[in-house]
Amino acid sequence: MSELHPEIHERRILGTELLWAVGVGILIAATLSTIVFTALTRDINPPSNVERIDPKTLHLSGEFTEQNLGTTVDADGAVTARVIATQFTFVPRCIAVPEGRRITMRFAAPDVIHGLLITGTNVNSMVVPGFVSQVHTEFTRTGHLLMPCHEYCGLGHSEMWATVQVVPQNEFKPDQDRRVACAKR
Amino acid sequence: MQAAAAVMEVTMSLNEPSAAASRVEVADDVDEESLAEVMRVVPLGAGVLAGSAVALLVLGYLAIYLLVFLPRGTVG
Repeated sequence: MSELHPEIHERRILGTELLWAVGVGILIAATLSTIVFTALTRDINPPSNVERIDPKTLHLSGEFTEQNLGTTVDADGAVTARVIATQFTFVPRCIAVPEGRRITMRFAAPDVIHGLLITGTNVNSMVVPGFVSQVHTEFTRTGHLLMPCHEYCGLGHSEMWATVQVVPQNEFKPDQDRRVACAKR
Repeated sequence: MQAAAAVMEVTMSLNEPSAAASRVEVADDVDEESLAEVMRVVPLGAGVLAGSAVALLVLGYLAIYLLVFLPRGTVG
C-alpha cells in the first residue's frame, strides 16, 4: 500500500514527466543541431536574398531585359541564370546549366506572386513582384529537370513550367556573347 | 413484463434516496494489491507506447534527411 501513497505516487508522475521533457528537449536540440550542421558543412540554407527591383520596368531596362535572360558565364567563370516568371510562363522556358558547378539562379516577376521548384533538387523559392529571388545551387546529375510554378498564379497556372537542362561540363560551352542556350532535343 | 420489473428492482428502487445507493452504481470492490500492480505497470506501458511512436517519427525524419534531403544537394 506504501506504493500508492499519494506523495510517492505524485513524485513518480513528476519524475516521469521530467524524464519525458528532458527527452523532448534532447530531440529538439538534436533537430536544431542537424539544421545548423547542414548549413555549416553542406551549405544547405533557405534562400534568403533580399533585393528590390521595380516590377513595372523589369522588361525595359536593367538586368532582366530580354537579351539578358537565360544562362550567362561571366569573365570570372561564374554561371548565372536569369529568369522571369510571368503569367503563365517562365522566360526562357529552358535553362541550360552545367553539372557539378556552383551556379546562381536569379528570378523576378512583373505581375503576381509565383513560386518554383526544380524536381529532384532542393531548389525551392517564391518569386515575389518587387524582389529578386536568388538561389545558389549545384546540380549533381545531368538530365532534364522539370521546373513548375508551385504558387497558384491564375487560370493558366497549371501550364506554367520550364525545363532545366543539366549538361556535362565539357558540353557546357558559352558562345561569343558568353551565353549558353539549351541544346535542341 | 416480469423481466422488466426485475431490472427495475436491480437498477433502482423508489425507496432509495439516490442512485448511488443502487447496487449497480456502486464501484466494484478494489483489491489494493491489484490496483498497486496496475498503477505500477500501466504508466510504464504508456511511456513505452509514446516512446515507440516518437522513435518511429525520428527514424522517419532521419531517413528522409539522409536518403532524400542530403543527396539533393546544396542550395542557399
